[in-house]
Amino acid sequence: MGSSAVGIVANPLAGRDVRRLVAQASVFPNSEKAKMIQRLLAALGAVGVTDAFVSTDVGGISAAVLRSLGPDPAAGRPEWPTVHFVELERYSSTAADTAELVGAMMGAGVGAIVCLGGDGTARAVAASCGDTPLLALSTGTNNVFPEVREATVAGLAAGLVAQGAVDATTVLERDARLEVIAHSRVETALVDVCLTRAASRGARALWDVGGLTELACVFARPDAIGLSSIPGLLCPVPRGAGHGVVLRLVPPRSAPAVVRAPIAPGLVVEVGVASWEHLHRGRPHMMGTGGGVVALDGEREIELDASERVQVRFCTDGPVRIDPSATLAEAAQRRLLCTLPAGAYGPGLPPSNDTP
Amino acid sequence: MSDTLEHRSAEPAELSADQLLDAYRRMRTIRAFEDRVHEEFATGDIPGFVHLYAGEEASAVGICMHLDDGDTIASTHRGHGHCIAKGVDPKPMMAEIFGRRTGTCHGKGGSMHIADLSKGMLGANGIVGAGAPLACGRALAAKLAGNGEVCVVFFGDGASNQGTTLEALNLASVWQLPVIFVAENNGYAETTASSWSVAADNIADRADGFGMPGVIVDGFDFFAVWEVAREAVTRARRGDGPTLMEVKLTRYYGHFEGDQQTYRGDEVERARRDFDCLKWFRTRVTTNGMLDAAALDTIDAEAAALIDDAVAEARSAPLPGREDLETDVYATY
Repeated sequence: MGSSAVGIVANPLAGRDVRRLVAQASVFPNSEKAKMIQRLLAALGAVGVTDAFVSTDVGGISAAVLRSLGPDPAAGRPEWPTVHFVELERYSSTAADTAELVGAMMGAGVGAIVCLGGDGTARAVAASCGDTPLLALSTGTNNVFPEVREATVAGLAAGLVAQGAVDATTVLERDARLEVIAHSRVETALVDVCLTRAASRGARALWDVGGLTELACVFARPDAIGLSSIPGLLCPVPRGAGHGVVLRLVPPRSAPAVVRAPIAPGLVVEVGVASWEHLHRGRPHMMGTGGGVVALDGEREIELDASERVQVRFCTDGPVRIDPSATLAEAAQRRLLCTLPAGAYGPGLPPSNDTP
Repeated sequence: MSDTLEHRSAEPAELSADQLLDAYRRMRTIRAFEDRVHEEFATGDIPGFVHLYAGEEASAVGICMHLDDGDTIASTHRGHGHCIAKGVDPKPMMAEIFGRRTGTCHGKGGSMHIADLSKGMLGANGIVGAGAPLACGRALAAKLAGNGEVCVVFFGDGASNQGTTLEALNLASVWQLPVIFVAENNGYAETTASSWSVAADNIADRADGFGMPGVIVDGFDFFAVWEVAREAVTRARRGDGPTLMEVKLTRYYGHFEGDQQTYRGDEVERARRDFDCLKWFRTRVTTNGMLDAAALDTIDAEAAALIDDAVAEARSAPLPGREDLETDVYATY
């Protein structure tokens, strides 16, 4: 059972924050995001997806995709799925746009969603896409959740998953997440939650580790970029471990452990760690006293009152993530993208004229 | 000299209570000034055109908070906010707009030419795209003098398409000039939507072609602008060259006073309700206990009184006379 429709969401603002100034973060112009969507469409068409629901924006991405459809966009391109542009009544240029776009795609019955952005974009999509399989492609800065992967290959994987052509139990993985409860606000983080002594959300991104006091991570890979690299290099936690990790951070000079961690592109800094422990399901961690700002996946989001604390819970009901490597491996095993002579499905290649 | 540079590079990580009050006062003064000019213009007593900055206050103030009198700014036809943020006295500004002899430029410049070199305000400018080359010249002077001063040029999405601006971006990068290019993208070049007229989807994307960092910042959020500007100014003072900041915001009034604004919907109403920089600032500093609401109320009242006085004084001030015809001009006749 599957759907022959796939949703594509691109964030026009990802990849342009202050980290271009304070670090050497890569630049990802919207023209490149538009090209990625075109490559996705080509791949989706190649595996038989009939309909693609593409987000619209006021940053020029969807406009470039529309132009690529040629002088008669309604006619479409024969090698692509039919492209449906999902429009909003109005655009706020915030994560609310993403939520609304994803909601509309879900309503249209898409069988998979591909999102283009950074961890922030993936968080916004994951919060709205329920159990629809998600493939997050990196166009942002701190990319722990989204993958850096060629869009064509991602499109093949998403198309196969959407149509149910591969075994879901092999190629899909239910991720964990962190639930953050502050005031009456409930938020999700896909990678990390951090408390900083900063006075305001400011430019959102977090690059100064001086004010960090507590960090919770869903998982922590040694080869990560961003805050999760701190535990990643000290006390790694694999994805799917069934628990997260919480660290108390202090200035390096007074710390029992000091980690040199790549907390942002181009920024490898010393971070002092006073202690760490696993974060288990059903045992919420209370964070914060004395104000500060809580950052979700590397972006300052929630400003706290002096007396306020936030609850951080490890939850196993995160987004359903498409594993493109596993998907294509299964596609290869089942020869889904091959045309072979009858009876040539056994081991080895079919006979060729060149074979002596 | 290096001591000066190091000293100047020491931008604070956070704002003190006094700085927050100062920032709020500057933003509130701009708002009160512009709202009042909007009213006064309707009386027909103001000669020439005015282009109002209301709604965009967080941009000018978030940036100018990092500058002192030695640093300079080049402005646009929408320059009142830049002037006030940079410390120009609102009273002679108001007199200038009314065309009075007591004005900043003795009543001869009007709204679009207010300049006060004592405050590092190089001038509002009626020519779209004229500011960026001026800023490069000033920044080159600062670089040659080695005094650590920086120059900020404010321009709009319309000016971002002008050759002058593009040439200046190139020159600033080639010479590694201490310039901060601030593209205040309010979505419209006069009445033409930027989505119809700016080929690069984000103006900040153009920075890459000129070899400088380009950053997008939320222009409704003083703290976001302040923080990005801190890094850009520090970078310029350190000798690391120019930065392009794209500040996305909305102007509350028309392109000019009298603009019927048939080209846009209810975006202003929504911005005033949901994003207004002054409201947002107040909520945040009072919620987290950084400032007391009463202190902000006092500033509101003082700003209103200041603008009342400015208008009263401007209206009673003399117009320039025949004897002023040949003063303040390059040529005598």
